[in-house]
Amino acid sequence: MDSASGFLPAAGAANGSAAGGGAQQQPIREQDRLMPIANVIRIMRRVLPPHAKISDDAKETIQECVSEYISFITGEANERCQREQRKTITAEDVLWAMSRLGFDDYVEPLSVYLHRYREFEGEARGVVGLGAPGAARGGSGDHHHHHHPSMLKSRAPGAMAPHHHDMQLHASMYGGAAVPPHHGHGFVSMPHHGGGHQYLPYPYEAAYGGEHAMASYYGSAAAYGAPGNGGSGDGSGSSGGSASRTPQGGSFEHRHPFASYK
Amino acid sequence: MRQARPYSGIFCGGVSARTGPHALPLARIKKIMKRSAGETADGGARMISGEAPVVFSKACELFIAELTRRAWAATLEGKRRTVHKEDVATAVQNTDLFDFLVDVVMADAGGGGHAAAGQYDEDDGALE
Repeated sequence: MDSASGFLPAAGAANGSAAGGGAQQQPIREQDRLMPIANVIRIMRRVLPPHAKISDDAKETIQECVSEYISFITGEANERCQREQRKTITAEDVLWAMSRLGFDDYVEPLSVYLHRYREFEGEARGVVGLGAPGAARGGSGDHHHHHHPSMLKSRAPGAMAPHHHDMQLHASMYGGAAVPPHHGHGFVSMPHHGGGHQYLPYPYEAAYGGEHAMASYYGSAAAYGAPGNGGSGDGSGSSGGSASRTPQGGSFEHRHPFASYK
Repeated sequence: MRQARPYSGIFCGGVSARTGPHALPLARIKKIMKRSAGETADGGARMISGEAPVVFSKACELFIAELTRRAWAATLEGKRRTVHKEDVATAVQNTDLFDFLVDVVMADAGGGGHAAAGQYDEDDGALE
């Protein structure tokens, strides 16, 4: 038990060589090694019932734990890169490390999240005239595609694509060998709507709009992410999701899927 | 008092065009990752793909939620309604998954989780 700075030695131990890829050792500022407390508290509040209080030491402890968590996972991902002589830790390495270290249950929601992120990135880069971010919300996915009718057509047949993409992520996590992209492409490259694809870097994501499929996808992921909303009137996606999966307000007693991984 | 609004939409459009309101700052995550990643075989700095902190921003949310939920269970166990550090410690001790946190939560807890039992806060009434 080495005092308040417990996090630092642990971080150093994780990689054997204390924190420094050549960077000069400057004292690490408190605000650099911890997540902002306000953000941490906000996330904590989301899963606690409204009458719950949080002491300052609990907040700080959780803050420390988050940093330790990032270090723990990163250390594992780092070792994998080292073994495979790669220079860059990728998102897949992180997911792989999580499943190795017992956080299997995070992998699916995170894959969905990453998928969505890539989707939005793809859109932001490739499609000119993207509407306000809000336009991407649930039922209004059509609006920002009106410049590209061909993409609208591509949506329906591609409803399966997101699942496919996740399989690919999974494959690359466990085996290291990703399913070749053209595999996924098969779903969406029907001759009459091929035009839309050039806008997106990930061919199998071109059909992201398979709205209903995706909605249920996010719904469940949101339920995972914000299970204990306790009626805080969250956004449509997550409240729909949590309603379907967890009893409102009682979810802190809800047996978490983790239990089976112990 | 809840201010979840701007962040609650993560899964229904909250990841806005480029930067998106990730619930946790990506730059900070990256810094912490940098410190935990070693060097490459040739002594260069380990690089971190831009997507890796994105994954972490969500992962940390799940992680905080999980840990908080379990800590709250410990709080209820003690018939209190304020989550204390000891409750977090208890949550960590009761969860194999969180073994890597033992040193963090025990750091200056002086005796650890048992301290929580039977301890009441001034502002806490016992819960029925």
